[in-house]
Amino acid sequence: MTDAIRLLGFESGGWGFALLAASLVTLVLSVAGFSLGAAIGGLAAAARVSQSRLLAGIADGYGTIFRGVPDLLTIYLLYFGGSIALTTVGRWIGLNGFIGLPAFATGTFAIGIISGAYQAEVFRGAWLALDRGQVEAAYAYGMPHRLALRRVILPQLMRHAVPGLSNVWQLVLKDSALISVIGLVELMRQAQIGAGSTRQPFIFYTAAAALYFIIASATGVLFRRGERITMRGVRRG
Amino acid sequence: MNNLRVFAFAVFGMLCGMPALAQDAPKAITIATEGAYAPWNFTNAQGKLEGLEVDLANDLCARMKLSCTIVAQDWDGLIPALTVGKFDVIMASMFITDKRLEVINFTQPYAVDPSGFAVAKDSELGKLAGSTERIKLEDEAAARAAIDKMKPLLKGKVVGVQAATANAEFVKKYFGDVVEIREYKTTEQHDLDLAAGRIDALFAQQTALAATLAKPEFTTYTVAGPGFFGGVFGKGTGAGLRKEDKVLKDMLNKAIDEAIADGTIKKISMKWVKTDVTPVK
Repeated sequence: MTDAIRLLGFESGGWGFALLAASLVTLVLSVAGFSLGAAIGGLAAAARVSQSRLLAGIADGYGTIFRGVPDLLTIYLLYFGGSIALTTVGRWIGLNGFIGLPAFATGTFAIGIISGAYQAEVFRGAWLALDRGQVEAAYAYGMPHRLALRRVILPQLMRHAVPGLSNVWQLVLKDSALISVIGLVELMRQAQIGAGSTRQPFIFYTAAAALYFIIASATGVLFRRGERITMRGVRRG
Repeated sequence: MNNLRVFAFAVFGMLCGMPALAQDAPKAITIATEGAYAPWNFTNAQGKLEGLEVDLANDLCARMKLSCTIVAQDWDGLIPALTVGKFDVIMASMFITDKRLEVINFTQPYAVDPSGFAVAKDSELGKLAGSTERIKLEDEAAARAAIDKMKPLLKGKVVGVQAATANAEFVKKYFGDVVEIREYKTTEQHDLDLAAGRIDALFAQQTALAATLAKPEFTTYTVAGPGFFGGVFGKGTGAGLRKEDKVLKDMLNKAIDEAIADGTIKKISMKWVKTDVTPVK
C-alpha cells in the first residue's frame, strides 16, 4: 500500500504527474476525435438520406467498412500506410527521407474516421425519427430553409441523437487506448510504461482504470445535461 | 515540351538513381527502444529513459561521434515504424532471429541473455534451482540431454510466455508436447498470472526473471534449470536497422567491438542486470 502511494504520488519518484498528463492527452484526443467524427458522421448521414444514389452509396460503403474492420487495423493502416504514402509522394517531389504524421494527428484522424461511421448511424436514425409534419409545418409558416433547420429540425434531431452520441463517446474513450500502439503516450501507454518500468503492473493498471472511470463519469454528467436540455418541452412517460 | 522532357528525365533519374548513390555516413540518428522493459530499457517517473540499453546507446553514439535521439515506441509498432523510417535503429532487447532478418537487418549481438524457466520452489522443476548451466542450442547433444531431463518435471504444467517472441517459439518447439502454453502480450501480464496461480511456470530471459522474482510476491518462486541460447533465440540481442543502411551497420558493429573489448558492456551490464551479458565471440 505504501508502495502504491509512493508510486502514484507527486513527490520525486512518483508517477502522479505523468499519469495526470496522460489522462489529459486521452481526454483531448477523445474530444478532438469525437468532434471530427461528428463532422464526418453528419456529412455521411446527410449523404445517406440525400436523393443522390451515388452519395448515399459512398456513405453506406464508408459506414460498412469502418464499422466492420477492427479499429486497431484502421489505426495501423492510417499510421504506417500514411507515412509510406507521404514519404513516397515526398520522393516524387524531390524530398528525401521520412515524412510522417505526428502520432496525435494520426490518432485524432483515426478516431474521427471510426467514430464518424458510428455517429452517421446515430444521426441517420435521429433524422428518420423526426416527425415529417413538423418540417412541413415549418415550411408552411414560410420559414426559410436555414431558419427551419435552426428552429425546428436541429433541436429535434439532437433530441433523438444525444443518447446515441453519448454511447459513441464511451466507445471513443475506449478506442483512444488503442492509439497507444503508434507511440502516443496517452493514459494506456503511460500505464504500460509505468508497469514495465517499475514492475508494479497491478498498481498502474488499477490507477489507469480509476482515471478512465473518472473521465467517463465526468463526461457522462455532461451528456445527461445535454439530454435534459434537448428534451425540454417534451412530456415524459 | 523540351522542359517537360527534362523534368520527366530528372524525376526518372531520381527514382532509379537513388539507391545506386554511395551512402554517406549519417550525422544524426534516432534510436528507438520500448521504454517499458526494466532493467534493459525503461522510463523513470520523470519520463526519462533509463536502463542498460539506454546507457549502451549513449556510449555507442559517443564512439561513433553521432548525435543521437533516443525515443520510446510500443513493442508492436517497433519493426513497422523502423521500416517506414520513423527512426533508424532499434535497441529494445530484440533477439536477432531468422524471421526478423527477413524484414530488417541487425548488428552483431551486443548482449547474450539466456532464457530459462521460473517455477515455484516446491514444484518438481524447482529441484533444478540454482543451475548456472548455459546451453547453446547448436550443441544438439547437450541440448537434447537437458531438455529430456526437464520434460518429465514439466509434464502437464501451464507455461506463460510473451507472444511473438523467441521464448514462445522455443517452448512450442521443445516442450510443446508436454506442457500447455499460454501466450501474453507483455511479460508483466504473465508475471501477474504466475503470482495469481493461473499458470505454473514462466519462460523468459533469465535477467528479466531475476528482476521479477526479486519482488515480495514471488519469494516462493525460483529460476530453475539451465539457461538456453543460440538456435531459435538467434545470435543474441542486437541492434535492428533497415536493410539498406549498410554504412550505419558497419559503424555500429565497430563501436560494439570496441565496447566489448574495453569492458564497457560488462560494466553497464553489471550495473543494470547484475550479471555479465557480454557476448562470447
